[in-house]
Parts: sequence; C-alpha cells; structure tokens
Amino acid sequence: MSDVTIQEGRPDTPALEIRGIYKSFRERKQQLPVLQDVSLSVAPGEFVSIVGPSGSGKSTLFHIVGGLEKPDQGQILLQGTDVTGSKGHISYVPQQPALFPWRTIEDNVILALEVAGVPLKEARQEAKKWLVRAGLGGFEQAYPHKLSGGMQQRASFLRGLLSRQEVMCLDEPFSALDALTRSDMQHWLLDMWEENKRSVLFITHNIEEALLLSDTVYLFSSRPASVLHSVKVPFPRPRREELIEDPAFNRLKRELTGYMREEQRKMREGSVG
Amino acid sequence: MRAWFRTVWPPLVAVILFIIVWQAAVSTLGIDKWLLPAPSDIAREAAVNPENLWVKTMSTLQLTVLGLVIGVAVGLILAFALHFIPLLKSAFYPLIILSQNIPTIALAPLLVVWFGFGLTPKLIIITLVCFFPVAVAAIDGLSRTDHIMLNYMRMIGASRGQIFRKLELPYALPSILSGIKIASTYSVMGAIIAEWIGSGTGIGQYLMMQKSSFRTDRIFVAIMIIVLLSLLMFTLIVLLEKWLIRYKPEQTNK
Repeated sequence: MSDVTIQEGRPDTPALEIRGIYKSFRERKQQLPVLQDVSLSVAPGEFVSIVGPSGSGKSTLFHIVGGLEKPDQGQILLQGTDVTGSKGHISYVPQQPALFPWRTIEDNVILALEVAGVPLKEARQEAKKWLVRAGLGGFEQAYPHKLSGGMQQRASFLRGLLSRQEVMCLDEPFSALDALTRSDMQHWLLDMWEENKRSVLFITHNIEEALLLSDTVYLFSSRPASVLHSVKVPFPRPRREELIEDPAFNRLKRELTGYMREEQRKMREGSVG
Repeated sequence: MRAWFRTVWPPLVAVILFIIVWQAAVSTLGIDKWLLPAPSDIAREAAVNPENLWVKTMSTLQLTVLGLVIGVAVGLILAFALHFIPLLKSAFYPLIILSQNIPTIALAPLLVVWFGFGLTPKLIIITLVCFFPVAVAAIDGLSRTDHIMLNYMRMIGASRGQIFRKLELPYALPSILSGIKIASTYSVMGAIIAEWIGSGTGIGQYLMMQKSSFRTDRIFVAIMIIVLLSLLMFTLIVLLEKWLIRYKPEQTNK
C-alpha cells in the first residue's frame, strides 16, 4: 500500500475521529434513535467509505460531522481537537452538484475559498490550474447549465478539493448520475485523489464503488445505525478499472453484499413488526 | 431583430386597427366631440401646446422615479428585516397584507392633513403603492432558497451574512425584479393620484383641470401620456433585469 504520506505530522493522530456518537430525533412524542454508538476514524490521507442501507442515518452523521446538528452523546475530533457542534471545519461535496446558476464554473469552484476568506486573486489562480487538470479547461467562464451532469459533479468536487480543510466529506456524489458516467467519474475521482491524497470520508450505498475507491470500508447497520463491520481494502494503488474483475475483489464484494442483504432484510422485518 | 419584429407586430396591428375603428365610428355615428373625441382630435390637441405637456410630463416622471426608488428601497429593507428576524415576519407579514385593503385614494386626503401640500405626502402615496409588490416578492424569493444549496453553505461553515449575500440574495433576484416590475407600473398611477391631491404640477393636476372644464380631448391626451409613462418605466426595469440576470439562457426571445 502506498501510504507513505501518512508519515508527515503526528502519525498517530487521525485526521478525523468520530467517537461514540448517539443521536435520536423526536417524532410525535416518540424518541426515534438514528445513530447508536457510531465510532470510526480517518487517518491522514486515507480514503474511508461508509456503506449502509438507504435511510440508515448516514446523512445525519454528516450533518453532525459538519456541525449542523449536535449529537446527543459523543465527540467529533479533527486532528485531535474537539470540534463537536461547530461549523466550517470540513470540506463538503453534496449529493447534487448544487452549483450556483448565476456563477460561472470558475466562480463556483472558488466559492468555498471565498467563504473561508482566501484572497480572490489567489483563489482564481488555483482554480484555473485545477480546472484544467480536472478536464474542465475551456469551461471556466461557462455557466453550470451548459455542462453535463458529470461535468457539474466534477466542478462540485473541485470546489470541495480546493477548500483548505483537511477532511473532505463526500455524500453519495455519484448517485444522481447514469451508470456509464458514474463509472467514468469513479476513475476520475480515483486519479484526482491519488494525485492529491486528502483525508476522505465517502458515503455511498454502492459496495463496488466503495471497494474500488477506499482504503477502509465501514458497513453500517440499518436504523438505528451503528458500525457493523470495518474492512481494510487490501488492493494496492494506483488502482485500475480492471480491479473489479479481480477474483479477490469479487469475493470481498460478495461478502459485503451478503452482510448488506441481511441488514436490509432485518430492516424490512423491523418495519413490518 | 427579425424575432423582435415578430413579437411586436401583432399588438401593433391590433392598436392601429382599434384606432381606425374608433376614428370611423366617431365620424360615421356623429358622436359629439365633448363626449368622445376622435383620435385625430386628440392628436391635434396634443400638438397645440407640446412644451406645456412636456414640462408637466417631466414633472410627473420625476415624481414617479423618485417615488419608485423610495418605494423599492422601503420594500427591500422591510423584506430583509422580516427575513432575518422570523418573529418579526410572523408578527408583521399578515399586517402588511392587510394594509393593502386600505384604498390609497382614501388615504390621500388624510396624508394632506398630516403633511400639507408639499412633496412629502406625494412620495408617501407612491411609496405605499410601490413597496408592497416588492416586499412580498422579496420575502417570497428569499424564503424559497434552494435547500440543497443552503445546506451546502451551512456545511462549509458560511456565516449568516455570507449565506445572505452569496446565496439568498442572488437566488431571490429574479423574484425581486418581477416585484419591481409590477411596482414600476403602479408607481405612475401613484404619482397621478398624488398629483390630484397635491398642489399644481404634473399630468395628474392637468387631468383634474380638464375634467372640471369637460375637455374630453385633453383628458385623452393625459391618458395617452400616462400609458406611455407606464410603458417607459416598465421598459427601464426590463432593461435593468436583462443587465442584472445574464446567466439564464435566452430561449424565447432570440
């Protein structure tokens, strides 16, 4: 594994640590537990995925990491500092591109830097450089509606990549794309990330996607969500498309799919009962 | 240019036909001039003393623009305040809507009693007419901000002010501009009413004078000028809109 970059800084401190998070919502006088003792960690430069059945509270976890919601119990630590309930410490790539239609692609990409108070000139220079590298050269001054869904999602990813925060949170960024674009985007993301090793927390419900991209995969149970399994993905980097035909890859995929089926079955029974 | 011509000719032909029918009806039916003057009579009357009409029109236009600017400013400030303070919104929003049930005509004499015959009561009347569409459009536009974009801004730690400046305001801009468009046509009406009650300048006052001397032809001249003023104000706002909102693809017009 090419985990050389982990050596810099304090090697033993995770970039992001989620410690014993509990969260429940009140719905018609009833406490509805959503997260139950969720703990996981992302090492510096590590790509970590969370896979779980839909509706299992993955997005709630992101809101807690982002500081939009306070957990009932537990802590969020960034490089060892407690940031529970405070905002602006992570970079974020949402499910839909959420590009602002009145901003050009370049202006959209620098939005996070602008919010963080980085001088515009510096931000623009950086954006220009990355737009070319991301295959969006020539579209700097175009408005988002001129771009395809895949290209919009690239711009959205770039917006997250450019912001200074160490930890990137990606919330099912490819779920709205068609299968072909999606696999295209997975490899694009793999290239971009391997070039630029950021600490990534990635939510998906696609097991293949998680295995292809990640160093570690956390499997979430159905609601209330807790960590069911954590799997270290052993395949070396840089990874290639051919990996998904590898027997070892498929064995791992089958294993995880089995767990997921089990969970989905439990959830169905739970909702009937 | 050709597309522009295509959208302009049908209403233009309709107007010309209407004028022809009007002219023919007046001359064949022999309607008295004091009852309904023919278009030709109106045109002749307008040409008699154009300087006088021009001065009055400019005076009304000045009042209209000043009133519209104040009205839009009041409407926007009100909308922003209600948007930022939810308690204020729930307390005052219904009152603002209720306020529109009070006819401006009824308020006019009251304002004269309070503020005299100067500029102040006139501007208040135009403001009262104009602030409402702007305030409602702005409040509406601001509260409809795309929640995915809003969620994104909050996740990256944008402050309340940043969210307002960078997301909510530009998102609400098209809505605000349609409010201003409506206000711009209202503003001319407001100015005319204001001039009826105030001291004597402008088209509104001219209109009142002609009414009392049964100069129907001159009343029609005044109406024509009012229509042109409304069109002018509307066009100004449309141009402003085109300049402010450049990101939308032009699908219908070009």
